[in-house]
Amino acid sequence: MTGVHQLVPTISPRDAVGNHTLALREVIRELGFDSEIFSMFRHPELMTDTHYVDRLPPDADVVIYQLSIGSPVAERWAQHAGLKIANYHNITPISLVGKWDGLLAAEVQLGRDQMARYAERCDHAICDSDFNKSELDELGYTSTETIPVLFDVTDAIPDPSALAKLERNRRGTQILFVGRIAPNKAHHDLVAAVRTLRELHDDAHLHFVGTDGPPGYRKVVETIVTHAGMRDHVTFHGSVSQEELVAHYLSADVFCCLSDHEGFCVPVIEAMHHGLPVVAYDCTAVGETVGDGGLLLKDKNPLTVACALHRIGSDSGLAQRLRVAGHERAKVFDRTTTRDRFSQYFSSLLRSL
Amino acid sequence: MSDSESDANYFKEVVAEIEAEAQRRSSSGEYPRALLRSLDEEFRRWIPDASLENGVEDTIRSIEAAAYVDPAVPTSSKSPLGRCVKWAVRRLTYFYHRHVTQQITALGIHITRPLRLLDASLKSVNRRLSALEDRLDVDAAARSEVLVGISISSSFEEFSEVLGQHFNQVSGRVLIGDLPNAQLLKNLRNEGVDAYGVASSDTPIQETVDVRHEHLFDHLGDLGNESLGGFILCGIPDYGSVNEQLRALRLLLLRSKPGASVAVIVLHPETWRKRLSPVATDLLYGRPMHTETWSYLLSREGASNIRVTESSDSSCCLITASLL
Repeated sequence: MTGVHQLVPTISPRDAVGNHTLALREVIRELGFDSEIFSMFRHPELMTDTHYVDRLPPDADVVIYQLSIGSPVAERWAQHAGLKIANYHNITPISLVGKWDGLLAAEVQLGRDQMARYAERCDHAICDSDFNKSELDELGYTSTETIPVLFDVTDAIPDPSALAKLERNRRGTQILFVGRIAPNKAHHDLVAAVRTLRELHDDAHLHFVGTDGPPGYRKVVETIVTHAGMRDHVTFHGSVSQEELVAHYLSADVFCCLSDHEGFCVPVIEAMHHGLPVVAYDCTAVGETVGDGGLLLKDKNPLTVACALHRIGSDSGLAQRLRVAGHERAKVFDRTTTRDRFSQYFSSLLRSL
Repeated sequence: MSDSESDANYFKEVVAEIEAEAQRRSSSGEYPRALLRSLDEEFRRWIPDASLENGVEDTIRSIEAAAYVDPAVPTSSKSPLGRCVKWAVRRLTYFYHRHVTQQITALGIHITRPLRLLDASLKSVNRRLSALEDRLDVDAAARSEVLVGISISSSFEEFSEVLGQHFNQVSGRVLIGDLPNAQLLKNLRNEGVDAYGVASSDTPIQETVDVRHEHLFDHLGDLGNESLGGFILCGIPDYGSVNEQLRALRLLLLRSKPGASVAVIVLHPETWRKRLSPVATDLLYGRPMHTETWSYLLSREGASNIRVTESSDSSCCLITASLL
């Protein structure tokens, strides 16, 4: 049987790239190919379901590398004799993380170096977004195609206690952002924008959902929150369960993303799916992800963002239209649609094997 | 027109209205500028210095700190019974936890040792590179001696009016750098332009205006792309090397929004030559480029409305343009 295997630096069940890799394996298996996942670091839950990277069969016909960070695993992929496909999820630029996390900086630097080095060795590349595709095209990759990441929009039942607590504490416009607390996500800019909103218009509360990223950044954001006199108006919820996450999406008034760098941005789709109006800073892949489903700002000057948040909070007609448009937009990234696209891509590409 | 197209057009109109509203509020002084500047300064104050370029010392220290595992498991609990159970389990399993944590801590130390060697090796490479740079930059000392005590900056107060008109419709902040004195900045701010200056730290500038005391390249390195409404490049075109001048222009263009208004103030090359001694003219590698060159560079970037204005004494020129 033809072997179409995947290589990934780290595989974990509650991680976007991990989930995508697992879902892609199923797509490839459904097409009738033998497909396994090989990784250097495997989550304990996936030990029996995946293999250590050394076990990759040298005679595999196709090897797909999930590229999102620098890793020695990339070397194994590049040196393999099989047809090589890269699935690019983007690598955060070193300028955004270098000062915060030395190890991560080294990994992203290695990732960018490997990405440039392997342009000639890679036969085909799949990118989550056109923004990611443009990066590979610029490096000389040939045969690149955009297919979004495979993910399940969470449809869990909202946690009733979390929902009740959020509703109980509700004062003013509730603004939500979901994402790792990392400098490229620009939480500090959100604090400035909401501070401006409170200064100019009305009461507002900012909710951050997401795990801590590079060391120190969370503390800096907290310092800025204190400096801005916003300690009672900003809540860090940390990592939450799927049920709690849905409660956040349902109870917020607007989802605001001011990230400086995103290769795709799954939370934007989730917010739109749950009928939350989205306002976002149009940069990197954010614009193409939001599409016609939200308000895209050309700059993230706190005053502009504050005016946008106020407008959504005070114009119910606009908010309703954003909800409907967002919900429609989220359908474009529906898992079944994306799975079909991957299925078509691989069946056409691997027809001759 | 489909629903999607209709929504897209409507949302674009709303964004345009929001931007106009923000612009109106900014112009009418409703913008909490001082507060936001203080937030920005607070953020910059706390950005760590540790970076790949500065070595990995801080990272290694954080790994070492994280590698220490405390075998004393917390016993706090909501109920007294839970606390007692946890305490008993901790007592009973302490020998086991201690054994495991000691091994983890030892592993952490073994991991950081080669990292420390790597760090030392990187620092050694950096030192050698610096020495090599010094050797390649022959007679940098002679150039420094020549530079001391000569003033070769443009005098551009008379351009204030033209610049005020050029920048008065700009949306976003206007950067002036490398700022030799505060007068131009004050004039522009009086005209209602949201301008700020960047001056190298040894340039004495009064603190009454918004001036960042840092090297222009460092400042531009920290700015996001398309964050400026416009810029006035000055100082560096008078004394920077060709590479520095081109780099400054490249970075400023990257940091400017589409449609930004831009300006370059530069000494006339002839004035520059006359002001300097033959020794300085020969030894300094920086010299002003002709206005034609600046116009060419700007037009190459797709700038439009490129205009050149000469000072009354023909000593320096102002080139203004608008980006597409």
